[in-house]
Amino acid sequence: MEKFKKLISQYPFLGFIIAYLVLLCVPTIFFTDLYQSHLSSLIFINIIVAAGLNIVKGYCGQVTVGHVGLYAVGSYTAGCMFMYLGSDLWMTLPAAIIITGLFGIAFGIPSFRLEGPYLALATLGGGEAIRLFIENGEFFGSTYGISSISQPVIFGVPFDTPDKYYYISLPVMIIAVYFSYSILKSSIGRAFMSVREDPISAAASGIDIKKYKILAFILSAMFAGAAGAVYAHLPPGYIHPNNYTVIEMVTFLAMVVFGGLGHIWGGIIGAIIITIVYDLTRPLYEYQLFIFGLTIVLTILFMPKGIGGFIDKIFIDKRFKKKKVEEVK
Amino acid sequence: MLLKTKNLMKAFGGLKAIDKVDFELPAGEIRGIIGPNGSGKSTFFNLVSGVYDPDPGSYIEFDGHDITNEPPHKIGALGLSRTFQLLRLYQDMSVINNVMSGYHTRVKYKFFEAVIGRKKIWDQEKEIKDEMMELLSFVGLADYAELNASELSGGQRRLLVLARAIAMKPKLLMLDEPAAGLSPVNVDNLMKIIMQLKDKYGLTLIIIEHILKVVMDTCNTVTVLDHGQKIAEGTPSQVKDDNAVIEAYLGKKMNDEEMRKALAV
Repeated sequence: MEKFKKLISQYPFLGFIIAYLVLLCVPTIFFTDLYQSHLSSLIFINIIVAAGLNIVKGYCGQVTVGHVGLYAVGSYTAGCMFMYLGSDLWMTLPAAIIITGLFGIAFGIPSFRLEGPYLALATLGGGEAIRLFIENGEFFGSTYGISSISQPVIFGVPFDTPDKYYYISLPVMIIAVYFSYSILKSSIGRAFMSVREDPISAAASGIDIKKYKILAFILSAMFAGAAGAVYAHLPPGYIHPNNYTVIEMVTFLAMVVFGGLGHIWGGIIGAIIITIVYDLTRPLYEYQLFIFGLTIVLTILFMPKGIGGFIDKIFIDKRFKKKKVEEVK
Repeated sequence: MLLKTKNLMKAFGGLKAIDKVDFELPAGEIRGIIGPNGSGKSTFFNLVSGVYDPDPGSYIEFDGHDITNEPPHKIGALGLSRTFQLLRLYQDMSVINNVMSGYHTRVKYKFFEAVIGRKKIWDQEKEIKDEMMELLSFVGLADYAELNASELSGGQRRLLVLARAIAMKPKLLMLDEPAAGLSPVNVDNLMKIIMQLKDKYGLTLIIIEHILKVVMDTCNTVTVLDHGQKIAEGTPSQVKDDNAVIEAYLGKKMNDEEMRKALAV
């Protein structure tokens, strides 16, 4: 076990490969109907968005409420490329990532001068502007949305049902989470955190604040773009401007806050829990938003670092106490 | 000269916070800067480290580079490190991450290597962590490495900002009131650590301090500021007997006639 732990810490991607293999086996063993596969794909997509949001909000501390607009950019890049060029996921995914990354720059520039609630307002405006632009644009299918976006075909096998699409969304999610892990564990992640905690003292340590702020926005936008493209191709392949409202944004925020702002697994834990809870409480539709708002408020009040931070704290305190007891002996 | 300022000026509105200060610091020296509150000591630090932009006509040179209008992170990357009077710790980060973020300018790997997560990265990260743990145990915080910086006591925080400033292996370290609010025993301990670090890393130091004992005991040369102007410079004993310095700190001695005039008004 010790040896295994050491191996993982030296080659972290091994852990991700193991997770990938385990998740590959899950549907055949546990899933009984198509809906569970569909829900898993949704969870994976939400994990990608939440992992990206955790970079800019959790680590870099930039309050962005327009992230759902970037998610929409990703989806509509994929949708429009399908509609006008007939491209499939292998073309639209990279294109969505790049184009959303460019939009991320636009979202990041206000952060040079704005902070906190003011930045939130600016990004909120940006996100809503994108949605309204899509809703009113004939080019984007306006309020009809874009429908029957194709699913990818590999070696002649179409991945056109939810149970098959699971195997498309899974590797994208694993790769995205791996990138977020390796970015946040490196000096880049620490630079993000110090920009969040104290920009002046970060600059004195030789960290270029503007560069890292814009980098955080671009990276998280790329995650949102990837998620958007995967969502667009999700069977039945239908996207509509109503899927990208502030309500979705609140859900994404609830995921990151509940899972743990600035915790490396925060977005992932939150995305899994919130997506499942969201789905189970569908009959109580009227109360869902109220409950999510309440969850955010209560988490910030009583568990400011979310579930991830809460669990970490328990282990760290335990280790610290153990060390002190040993010292006394 | 490691650090040189010429005609350094900074005005906030009508107030001249720093007024034509010429300052020269050879490498290896320990320089003290003293002066009453509001005399421009911290502003001087902020100007040199790039937090404030100096007024036109000023010139600052560090290690042969003109840093007059450079942004703070570039100045930091040249090897000028500083601490802040109000500490500016990263409260919500663990102690080890605080110190490791100070290492930023020395990290060798490239951005894309970090994204892909090559093995090289994790080896280097481990090296960095080991080196920083060593630094932490040197200042006596190794046991607290995993705790949040906000959980430390006042004295430990002062040690932590010191460690964070050292982590970048600077050429020049500027300490803004490193011993403020410490008990006499802790002050001695802190100064001992600072001196050990200076020898270990070959630092040049500038220390702002109000505890005169610290300045007089440790500094080679002392610069005295008052109302943004340099009023004296010399060895601690020279400065102690300087009339201008005594005037700035204690006030001017009046003769009888001046006293009568002052009271009559």
